[in-house]
Amino acid sequence: MTGNRDRGHEGLGRGDLDRRGLLKVAGGSLAALGLTAAGCGSGGGDGTVSLRYAWWGGEPRTVAIKKTIRLFEKKYPKIKIKPEFADYEAFWEKFQTQASGGNPPDVFQNAVGFLRKYDKRGVLMDLKSQASAGNLSLKNFRNGVLTAGQADGKQLGIPVGANTMALVIDLDVFKKAGVDPKAGWTWDEYWSALRKIHDTQKIAGDTGYFTVMYLYDLYLRQHGRAFYTDTDLGFTQDDLTQWWSDGYKRVKSGIVADPKKIEQVAPKSGLSAGLAAAEFTWDNFSVRYEGEGRSDYGLAPIPTTDGKHTGQYLGSLMLSAFSGTEHPKEAAQFIDFMVHDPEVGKIMGYDRGILATTEQYDAYKPTDRTSKGIAAFEEEVAKAGVLGKITPHPSGADVIEAAFLRIGKEVAQGKSRPSAAAQQFFGEAKAAFAA
Amino acid sequence: MTLVEETPTTTANKPPAAPTAAREGRRRENLAGYLFMSPWLAGFVLLTAGPMIASLYYAFTDYNLFTPPQWVGFDNFTTMFHDPRWQKSVQVTLTYVVVATPLKLLLALAVALLLAQKRRGQALYRAAFYLPSLIGASVSVGFVWRALFSDHAIVDRTQTVLGLHAGGWIGNPDYVLYALVALTIWQFGAPMVIFLAGLKQVPPELYEAAAIDGAGPLRRFWSITLPTISPVLFFNVLLESIHAFQVFGSAYVVSNTQCGPADATLVYTCYLYQKGFKESQMGFAAAMAWTLVIAVALVTAVLFWSQKKWVHYENETEAAK
Repeated sequence: MTGNRDRGHEGLGRGDLDRRGLLKVAGGSLAALGLTAAGCGSGGGDGTVSLRYAWWGGEPRTVAIKKTIRLFEKKYPKIKIKPEFADYEAFWEKFQTQASGGNPPDVFQNAVGFLRKYDKRGVLMDLKSQASAGNLSLKNFRNGVLTAGQADGKQLGIPVGANTMALVIDLDVFKKAGVDPKAGWTWDEYWSALRKIHDTQKIAGDTGYFTVMYLYDLYLRQHGRAFYTDTDLGFTQDDLTQWWSDGYKRVKSGIVADPKKIEQVAPKSGLSAGLAAAEFTWDNFSVRYEGEGRSDYGLAPIPTTDGKHTGQYLGSLMLSAFSGTEHPKEAAQFIDFMVHDPEVGKIMGYDRGILATTEQYDAYKPTDRTSKGIAAFEEEVAKAGVLGKITPHPSGADVIEAAFLRIGKEVAQGKSRPSAAAQQFFGEAKAAFAA
Repeated sequence: MTLVEETPTTTANKPPAAPTAAREGRRRENLAGYLFMSPWLAGFVLLTAGPMIASLYYAFTDYNLFTPPQWVGFDNFTTMFHDPRWQKSVQVTLTYVVVATPLKLLLALAVALLLAQKRRGQALYRAAFYLPSLIGASVSVGFVWRALFSDHAIVDRTQTVLGLHAGGWIGNPDYVLYALVALTIWQFGAPMVIFLAGLKQVPPELYEAAAIDGAGPLRRFWSITLPTISPVLFFNVLLESIHAFQVFGSAYVVSNTQCGPADATLVYTCYLYQKGFKESQMGFAAAMAWTLVIAVALVTAVLFWSQKKWVHYENETEAAK
């Protein structure tokens, strides 16, 4: 019986396929794995270096950035760029996982809310060292926007564009309602404008101003404070209760849009969906709304408390480098090219804000109405002399911004009393600072 | 010396030594078996068992993925039980499980009863009712659901005709969870197929005997069908409740990744995900995961305990006789 079985195996050629055969197969796959791993390594034998570059944004940004990458590779044939991109939320979730595994991209898009968070975790390179080594120029940045990339004496990001908060408005509706926003207009004037729009045009005035962290920041700055101190929140629970109570009253009265409707059109904005006539957001978003919505959109000044000070400052998207990159020099050269090269400026336009360096700003002449509008808006703001200094956000600011939006919407829905909501927010903020 | 040495070699080639060769062969076969299993084994150990054990450890630590985990004992659990959002997520999940599971099974059973009868186009009906189970979990269906339950869409119009002026459900914290419930009920095809298989097992002679005794259709259902398919019902209840506790995809997509509005669709796994991957509180998230494991295990245990009262296995009945 046993003999038969053995012979049967032999007959099938199994004898050859046992240990040795399997080991061969296993060894082969290991070798293949090894090859793949080698292929993934970032240094080629001929001195070619490859860098991973990651960003978030929509399709137009991705198309433009890929063009600029080709331009860079032409000028630096020894450096190859591997692009990675996603939308905002997916980008940061992926980034967190990569960074915690010691494997973030070599160069990546960044924003002020993440500087201290990832500096605290040792992920960001202080680019000052690369600047002094001559691989990266910190000159020719417009209106002091370079400070947007600084925190605690380090240069953690190099701005690619400058943005300010603005009131993006539906030009048609404002015109039909006969509202003409002027620089220095006050909050009371803004509320009565919303009332007028609501009464004459039968749509809400504002999409939900009180859930926007960056707007509350401006409001606080108008009162000599700010949303953040270096390590904490710059306002009290009572302040926030007041801010949200007022907001809820305005939802009830109809001058701020019904949050149920806003929710349904997401991820589209309530402004471009035609639910309301104005939204506080970054000025470069008007580019997006122009593509998304049916109306024409323009920029209006931020309302003030004292008739002059808007609390605005220049914010910025920036490029950062990984502190542990194998090729710090090449990463710095890449960033330098991306922020200073005039051709790159021409390709990118104002997609990430008004070009940050004079080389790029001078090279790009906006032709479309939206971009011209942004340029004119920032020029006016700069001329008015109201631009303040940006304050770096404490670690955890990204989580706090999301909580501010989420809890603010709960208030808007009438699902949370403003005082309870403020208490909840302060609790979550404390946890976010500590994380 | 030579002789002694030669002896074992010669004997080895003779028949009595066959068992050793067989053992050797079996060992080889075992080794080959393990080698063939190794991709699965490695996957299980590295991707399932290992991470599970690690997460049990993380549940007792403060861990943000970057700095090494700090042992905090039961802190995560006490914070969690006092966290209003955690309580909300438990409330949302329980509502979902308690409302969706029975309704889905009821519908599945009702349709299975209809389809168990012989009629023309039977296979077509079965396939048609099963189809949503195959595609219901996809992201695209989530988007379709968003559209169906928005203002002025089909659901809103229908309810307006019926005199209900509630508007779209998607933006309304009071209704949006029921859009998710509707989505899972719509996927009743999987339990339906299992019910159908169960209904096939009911001996037809029981119905005949009951009919002779004058039992009506309702009576026959209560006294024959239900007890006979009770093991199948039990299996479906168990499976569907466990599934419902772990709902994530539909809540995430239908709410545009926010699990809102106002946390109205903040199902347990969604809050877990937010804590771990958005707020970098991996220790807290791990504690949440293990709490869910324990809760689901408890529910399963209760169901198993309760089956003694209402589930009838054929061999048991015979043994009792």
